[in-house]
Amino acid sequence: MNFHINWALVAPIIAIQAILVIIALIDLSKTEKTNGPKWMWVLIILFLEVLGPISYFIIGRKQS
Amino acid sequence: MKTWLVLFRKEWLEMIRNYKVIWIPLAFVLFGLLQPITSYYMPEILKNAGNLPNGAVIKIPIPLSGEVLAQTLGQYNQMGILVLVLAFMGIIASERKSGMTKAILVKPVGYSSYITAKWTSAVLLSAGAIFLSMAASWYYTVLLIGDFPFMNVVKGASIFFIWILFLITLTVFFSSFLKSSGLVAAFTLLLSILVTLLTSLLGKWMEWSPYQLTNAAATLFTAGRIEGPFLLPLITTVILTVLLLSLAATRKSNS
Repeated sequence: MNFHINWALVAPIIAIQAILVIIALIDLSKTEKTNGPKWMWVLIILFLEVLGPISYFIIGRKQS
Repeated sequence: MKTWLVLFRKEWLEMIRNYKVIWIPLAFVLFGLLQPITSYYMPEILKNAGNLPNGAVIKIPIPLSGEVLAQTLGQYNQMGILVLVLAFMGIIASERKSGMTKAILVKPVGYSSYITAKWTSAVLLSAGAIFLSMAASWYYTVLLIGDFPFMNVVKGASIFFIWILFLITLTVFFSSFLKSSGLVAAFTLLLSILVTLLTSLLGKWMEWSPYQLTNAAATLFTAGRIEGPFLLPLITTVILTVLLLSLAATRKSNS
């Protein structure tokens, strides 16, 4: 496995993912009610990389 | 006009508060960046991932930069549309459900300006997301694969955006009278899939189809000029968009 990765290329992607995760977590900590238990969304946001935060924003937030 | 601007401002405030302004463009930029990177690393990924017999030789040419950009459009057509439709499905339906629409329409606000303010903000946000993402994709493609004229990217993205504009209008249209936002998303996605399928299956009879705009944008990237129908789908799409929007805006809210 001599997979050569150019980190300068991948860094922006990691940064965008990190921003998405952080915003989702901030929003999650602010809202008092979500669709489904909160701890589940924390796990989803943290472990489903790109799709986690996006699916939280789409279905996790209670539209008020 | 003044009330329209107030409604427009309120819409942006809402999109800032629920982070749509940030996460939709970021998600799109991510889709845009992933395409050139996976195309560039594909030979290495295959070399490491597959359990090929010793000595097997795979030769995959790195695609041309135009092809990568066309594939990026394909990404938007799947993930991008899904994200946009799901993000905007509740644009009117959920406000009506929560009684917000009534609260707004009690004030001297025209129903049509209420709808068009929502539509305009949704369109502007998705336009920003797509152009930002396309620029990012172009930058990575030029960096990794090969040069490509930026003007063509702008033109192609603009043509492609008209198709997205049509889908957003469809979302707003369904959202203006359907009760549940889930149904809005289901109808819009189903219709977009239907149009896409019929266009690729019955190309001869579907030259007017809005989906042809995607093909036009893709050929602009791969061949350097637009091949296939362009003017006809452009006209039908604009007419359909105006029609759907005016239908949505004139519908008296009966709930």
